[in-house]
Amino acid sequence: MDILSNLAVGFAGALTPINLMWGFIGCLLGTAIGVLPGIGPALTVALLLPITAKVDPTGALIMFAGIYYGAQFGGSTTSILLNTPGESSSMVTALEGNLMARNGRAGPALATAAIGSFVAGTIATILLTLFAPLVATLALKFGPAEYFAILVLAFTTVSAVLGASMLRGFASLGIGLTIGLIGLDSTSGIARYTLGVPELVDGIEVVLVAVGLFAVGEALYGVLYQKEETASRHRLTSLWMTRADWKRSVPAWLRGTLIGFPFGSIPAGGAEIPTFLSYSTERKLSKYPKEFAASKGVGAIEGVAGPEAANNASATGSLVPLLTLGIPTSATAAILLAAFQNYNLQPGPLLFQTSGELVWTLVASLYIGNVILLVLNLPLVGLWVKLLQIPRPYLNAGILVFATIGVYGMRHSSFDLFLMLGIGWAGVLMRRFDFPVAPVIVGMLLGPMAEKQLRNALSISQGDWMIFVTQPIAASVLAVTLLVLLVPYLLHKRGIKLHEDD
Amino acid sequence: MAGRWSVRPAQLAIGVGIVVISAVLAVGASRFPAEMGFVIMPAYVYPYAVAAFLGAVGLLMGYQALTGGFRNLADDHETSGAEPGGKSGATWVTAGLLGVALLISYIGFVLAAALLFACSARGFGSRSPVRDLAIGIALALPIYWLFTAGLGVSLPPLINAWI
Repeated sequence: MDILSNLAVGFAGALTPINLMWGFIGCLLGTAIGVLPGIGPALTVALLLPITAKVDPTGALIMFAGIYYGAQFGGSTTSILLNTPGESSSMVTALEGNLMARNGRAGPALATAAIGSFVAGTIATILLTLFAPLVATLALKFGPAEYFAILVLAFTTVSAVLGASMLRGFASLGIGLTIGLIGLDSTSGIARYTLGVPELVDGIEVVLVAVGLFAVGEALYGVLYQKEETASRHRLTSLWMTRADWKRSVPAWLRGTLIGFPFGSIPAGGAEIPTFLSYSTERKLSKYPKEFAASKGVGAIEGVAGPEAANNASATGSLVPLLTLGIPTSATAAILLAAFQNYNLQPGPLLFQTSGELVWTLVASLYIGNVILLVLNLPLVGLWVKLLQIPRPYLNAGILVFATIGVYGMRHSSFDLFLMLGIGWAGVLMRRFDFPVAPVIVGMLLGPMAEKQLRNALSISQGDWMIFVTQPIAASVLAVTLLVLLVPYLLHKRGIKLHEDD
Repeated sequence: MAGRWSVRPAQLAIGVGIVVISAVLAVGASRFPAEMGFVIMPAYVYPYAVAAFLGAVGLLMGYQALTGGFRNLADDHETSGAEPGGKSGATWVTAGLLGVALLISYIGFVLAAALLFACSARGFGSRSPVRDLAIGIALALPIYWLFTAGLGVSLPPLINAWI
């Protein structure tokens, strides 16, 4: 079968000692930084981007796979042990996992998170292997009008579905679109909104904005508003799960994967929905409902197993639209896209044609990365816990140093550093007034894409705007967009809120 | 609550700010030079669209700010007033970052990073600047070697490739 032979080639490319080494390093770095409170996978990948400047593309991408998975596991570790989720999709893990930890069961919680992620990741990668080529062939039929419609859908779902306020989500999107406008317009050759500053002619880098918002913004926000935390340590007794634990976890892992993968692979931005969905499913199906956090119990292991699996499956799922269509559905995917573009790779249906070998190597390294994660991280948990004991001031100061390296390493421009600081303060403002951050990154990256597709579509239709309604696929995607916009509003009017703890 | 109008100044400022940004976009777009030849969608169409979008958002936010504040704002338990050391801490961190931006090409990466480290640590509550500076240098040196010699990412030196 074609897929198997492609995969075999991929494995051959990935299983070289050098690439394995990059995978290990990536995993270690990813976990080390993902463990740090406040740093999620998106920021970790952004910070580690400059490292890959001199590494060959295959090795660099494999490193990223390691970093991606490592960062997720690191985030789970912090959530369980310190109750400080690095991002909103880890909130559920923090809820149940920390409860388990406080009752002396930190080990099993971590174990179920790690093994669950491994199971989910492997299954999800298999699904990715099966579906991605299919979607890519389908996507070849997409014209600019269809792409534009999908991009509009992606904009809408990222801004409108998550977060408390659709309006603030749209505001963030608008800011992102604005940032995306800065720079040289490729079609007309006009330099837009550069205010005479030469550094702006190339536009603003995604990594800069990500690092500014996440790292600098979080640091400043932490200084201004957060009280000193007393991080309670938990004795790590045993990592092993009992038979009962296994019996409860395995179905939860499978359910979590089945929930997570579809959500990750559609342009519906984010891993929050599948994790929360998985949590409520586990709660409803569990034979031990009293153990859950909401019932003031001791912490139920399914409540960690399911959401962790869902989280990982959804992350892998988001690689489907990224690789086949070139559309990122989360901040992390957006940064991965930026990384791809740095190597002059344009993800999309043509990627499988032109750089097929590279893609399959990446897929193979996803499998391998999963294994590395399991093998490496569980024994080293003690080490990661030690990292968390570094005093807070040094931890944050170190993060800022890395941020500087990341940003300065790109263009050696002091202007970039000033920009990073400014964006950091903007991030404080956003956090203070509850503006979501993901739409900024997505808007910034997808905005120019949308403009290009709009132009191409209009060129083909000779200026006829009706093309978006007359082409069936484009029209139906736009209809879905309208639904996404209107349905929550209508539900809200009837008193039903789409809130997380329902 | 007296009447429908209840103004939140900070939020109103944000709404106004967004409208201002959209106006800047529109003004900028109007200044784009006309393009030669036959062009289906000139370079100003999309910026105008974004400006219109942002303008609408900003106006709506201003409206929300005037009638009771942003909707569904999370409970302010973690931001109910800045921490006592907060503002001065933020100043230290900002100073550190500014320092790096201004000085890095003059004093090299290691010293600039150490400076940033010390200032940030101070901002976050550490009270021993000399020790922080030392730790900063101890941290920055191996990183410098790793990146320049090991990974080929060039960072500005002070004297030579080793510091």
